[in-house]
Amino acid sequence: MLNNRKKYLQIAFNRSLSEVKEMIFLLPPSNKILIEAGTPFIKNYGSDGISSLKNWWGKKIGEQGYIIADLKAMDRGLREVQTVAKAGASAATCLGLAPIETINEFIKNCQSNGIDSMIDMMNVKFPFEVLQKLKKLPDIIVLHRGVDENNKNREKQLPHNQIRAIKGVYGKILISVAGGETTRDVIRTYFNDADIAVIWRSFYESPKNTAKLAQEFLKLIK
Amino acid sequence: MQIQKKQFKDKLLDWIIFFVLGAFLINPFLGLIAIFGLIFYFFKNKNALDLQLSKYSKSINAFSNNLARIESIHNSTSVRKIFLQNNQLKTLSLEFPKKNLIFKAPQLRLEKRKRYLQVALNNTINEAIQIISQIPYSKRILIEVGTPMIKEYGIKAISEIKQMAPLGSYIVADNKCADLGSREVEMMANAGANASTCLGVAPIETIDTFIEECEKYKIDSMIDMMNVEDPLSVLKKLKKLPRVVILHRGVDESEFSKEKQIPYYQIKQIKGNYNLLVSVAGGDTLREIQRAIFNDADIVVIWKSVYEASENTASLVNEFMKEIK
Repeated sequence: MLNNRKKYLQIAFNRSLSEVKEMIFLLPPSNKILIEAGTPFIKNYGSDGISSLKNWWGKKIGEQGYIIADLKAMDRGLREVQTVAKAGASAATCLGLAPIETINEFIKNCQSNGIDSMIDMMNVKFPFEVLQKLKKLPDIIVLHRGVDENNKNREKQLPHNQIRAIKGVYGKILISVAGGETTRDVIRTYFNDADIAVIWRSFYESPKNTAKLAQEFLKLIK
Repeated sequence: MQIQKKQFKDKLLDWIIFFVLGAFLINPFLGLIAIFGLIFYFFKNKNALDLQLSKYSKSINAFSNNLARIESIHNSTSVRKIFLQNNQLKTLSLEFPKKNLIFKAPQLRLEKRKRYLQVALNNTINEAIQIISQIPYSKRILIEVGTPMIKEYGIKAISEIKQMAPLGSYIVADNKCADLGSREVEMMANAGANASTCLGVAPIETIDTFIEECEKYKIDSMIDMMNVEDPLSVLKKLKKLPRVVILHRGVDESEFSKEKQIPYYQIKQIKGNYNLLVSVAGGDTLREIQRAIFNDADIVVIWKSVYEASENTASLVNEFMKEIK
């Protein structure tokens, strides 16, 4: 569903339902923007939240929007994928830290439900070790530095060097980078050949500037 | 059942009132003695009235519960607004369900040296409510709102189950926090959960903030050690200890690779080194529960046998409770 020659900007929403609605209608309509329902958002509003995101974004851009459900699945790959697929998500995430059986099951079910599978490599030191063990490859790999890690531990860096390494070995896989927030981080992300840059904090902190911020970031994609 | 002996059944309370009135009729002095006897009895068994109180709270909360459900179906607050305009809600004092209880339940915490049975609900909300109504009431049964349910319904699932469960039930929110510890704990605590879970594989910084926040909100912190080979090495790195450590074999794991075992020997290892409770999840047969209890686990989690409500649910739970003692 995602074109691997294009670059995308993924915006994660974690505020309350009404605020998110306002923010989405402020966004510039572009199919390069992917809308993510953040983990706290899903845990707060459940699958209803995902379907309303889908509705709003679809109305805004006038076609089927791309919605990512940041499930962070850890167990029961089947049940969770079915729930979000029914709610209208186009992709779901699974933790790279989960048992291998769960990840396998997750990828299999994503394919059978027709959505993209994303493996979140937060706190995984060597993503290759996980990827080698899998039966099938996921569609997208997320290199992720957690928010709490970011706040408490400044010296941990985003593993930009791993992007080319993974692409060199597995070729077709898309790479998404989460955890960088400034325009500089995003430039670095695209420069290092990542396909998707995930941002949320600047939007979370100033929902009123949504339109301006999104345009700034969109300029970086070209 | 052992637990229910100390609680009054519905009719028993009526009989007691009848008896006291009768005693008054015969002789006021006799009536006074009966009342003092009753006071003494309640002083000794503080739980005796729990069942009645929970029913009482349910009946006075029924209106606001139904209102919340209507709102969630129609996704609007217009119903509430109409009531607020007419000042109906205030006169009924139903606007803040927690405050109108005469007997406010204190924040429940787990106690050491007691054994608990944790019943995990993972199906739909309706199914969960049916199951809850069948489960015998006991302070040693913990009700868990499973991850799939939280992800499907959101925190609505927690507050709804909390309202449907008997007053003073202990609710565990299995949110499996992996990042943003403070946000999730706040959400779960506000929804009415008494405990929240965090993944042991999450970054150490996340687990630290999670435990800190749990203490702030006075709920129990549970660290889920699924897919962690050596739980002790995680515990060593933490600034503060959690209240509970869960040894967990995932559902997918146990389905697709049968040879993986729950590491029962780790229970004693952990309890020997740290002063905390250990919970075991992933075994669902009577035998596995016996093994867990034999190995000194404090909490045993079951889900498969209570996934769907059936006629046997109550007897099944009773059987498990017998094992746990």
